[in-house]
Amino acid sequence: MSQPLLEVQQVFKNFGGFAALSGVNIYVNPGERLGLIGPNGSGKTTMINCISGLLTPEKGKIIFEGNDITQMTPHHRARAGIMRTFQIPKPFNSMTVVENLCIPLEYAAEHKTSLSVAEEEARKILTLIGIEALGDLKPTGLTQVDMRKMELARSLAGRPKLLILDEVMAGLSGSEVDEILEILFKLNEQGITIIMIEHVMRAVLGFSKRISVLNTGLNIAEGTPDEILNNPEVEKVYLGE
Amino acid sequence: MVSIDLLLNAVVAGILIGGFYAAVSLGISVVFGLLDIANIAHPLFVITGSYFTFYLNSNFGLDPILVGLILMPLFFVIGNIVYQSYYHFFEKQGAEPLRGLVFFFGVLFLIEVSIIITFGVDYQLVEAAYLGESLNLGIVNVSYRLFIPFLVGVLLTTGLHFFFAKTFYGRAIMGVSQDSLALSLMGADPVRIKSVAFGIGIATASMAGALLVMILPIEPALGREYIGRVFAVAVLGGLGSVKGALFAAIILGIAESLTATYFGAAWSSGVSFGFLLLVLAVRPAGLFGR
Repeated sequence: MSQPLLEVQQVFKNFGGFAALSGVNIYVNPGERLGLIGPNGSGKTTMINCISGLLTPEKGKIIFEGNDITQMTPHHRARAGIMRTFQIPKPFNSMTVVENLCIPLEYAAEHKTSLSVAEEEARKILTLIGIEALGDLKPTGLTQVDMRKMELARSLAGRPKLLILDEVMAGLSGSEVDEILEILFKLNEQGITIIMIEHVMRAVLGFSKRISVLNTGLNIAEGTPDEILNNPEVEKVYLGE
Repeated sequence: MVSIDLLLNAVVAGILIGGFYAAVSLGISVVFGLLDIANIAHPLFVITGSYFTFYLNSNFGLDPILVGLILMPLFFVIGNIVYQSYYHFFEKQGAEPLRGLVFFFGVLFLIEVSIIITFGVDYQLVEAAYLGESLNLGIVNVSYRLFIPFLVGVLLTTGLHFFFAKTFYGRAIMGVSQDSLALSLMGADPVRIKSVAFGIGIATASMAGALLVMILPIEPALGREYIGRVFAVAVLGGLGSVKGALFAAIILGIAESLTATYFGAAWSSGVSFGFLLLVLAVRPAGLFGR
């Protein structure tokens, strides 16, 4: 089997006396679609903060493309090809949507061209996501679903090899979820590896090839969506005994 | 009966001095407004620029504006070094802003004492052929001593405004002011971006210093008089807004000039701060707040 794109090995992270992650292992293969689920407080967000570099684990290793990135700064990880979205989109409000996209284009993707070429590139990405009409607006006026799409577009502008989605579906309607899913399948076909953290079960079960389940900072199950649905351990965590 | 001549001349002088105030305050608009670093030593960097200008002008006869321009890269590097040390000793450790303020107080006194040791406490002034001349526009008399600093101040502000709006670096600086974590996830190094921004802030001080010594004779403690004024301009204009700083500086200049003309110079700083309080009561974000 080929080497995984990302490998999280025995990662521990504490906040004071609270153990958020107690030896978590996760891997994702190139081109794969991995779902990461678990009840609130299970350590999913802490996990992706460790992967994107916002947090440094106390113990354990994070390997990306065969390199140990555990101590690497967030901006170097972004340049290496790890991009993420946030549960609550965090656009730069003083800039238009296109201008927001130019920042990762210039820095994460190291696009190094003139501003006008970058803006053109940004518009292509907006077209891919289907929000080309919003390019010249400020993010403050956008609807929830458009804001999510913009957040997605901005991550794409960093030319990721690995895209981590932190609850992009939260608060969206059924048809909006389908819309985003369609975009994500398209991106995956283009070769982008995706990790999806999601509470909307329909989305994560329909999208993922493989799902990893966390609870109280530990791996409790892993398998195909069908296997996860029929796993008594997972059922216990979500529904109680 | 109010004399139109007197009023017009006071307003014009206020506008002109406002352009200069903008140049002095730009550094604070960038460093305090965008990076949230209360660099109270900024006016002392301006005074340093003035003394360099005085030295090169009186010894080599260089034009003050030219000196201001030549010194900008040097001041940029100095700004970089100051920020790197501030980052290393304070920001990185997560120190409280108050401790950073103490650091800049230290920098302020260090610069002031260095100037006193090097240049003494006497008043100094620069010379250039055009400084004594003035432009007569009917009833309004425009002295070049004020008009050139105004012009340069406006140009500097406009240049910086376009830098922030139209370049990758400028936008990254705007980004770092809003969310430096998000910026780092976009692949940009926030420390480097802040370092460049701080350098730009200090680079404006060399030009502002050259303008200052063209307008008035300088002495080492003069910088302290500007501390309140520069923060007032930055806050009045709206933190982080370069355009706002220019408008605020002109408003403040006019207010000070009118007060000085009609009520005496002693009242002028009182009026400008009163004005600041009034604006903040109505519009806490300042004129062009983010």
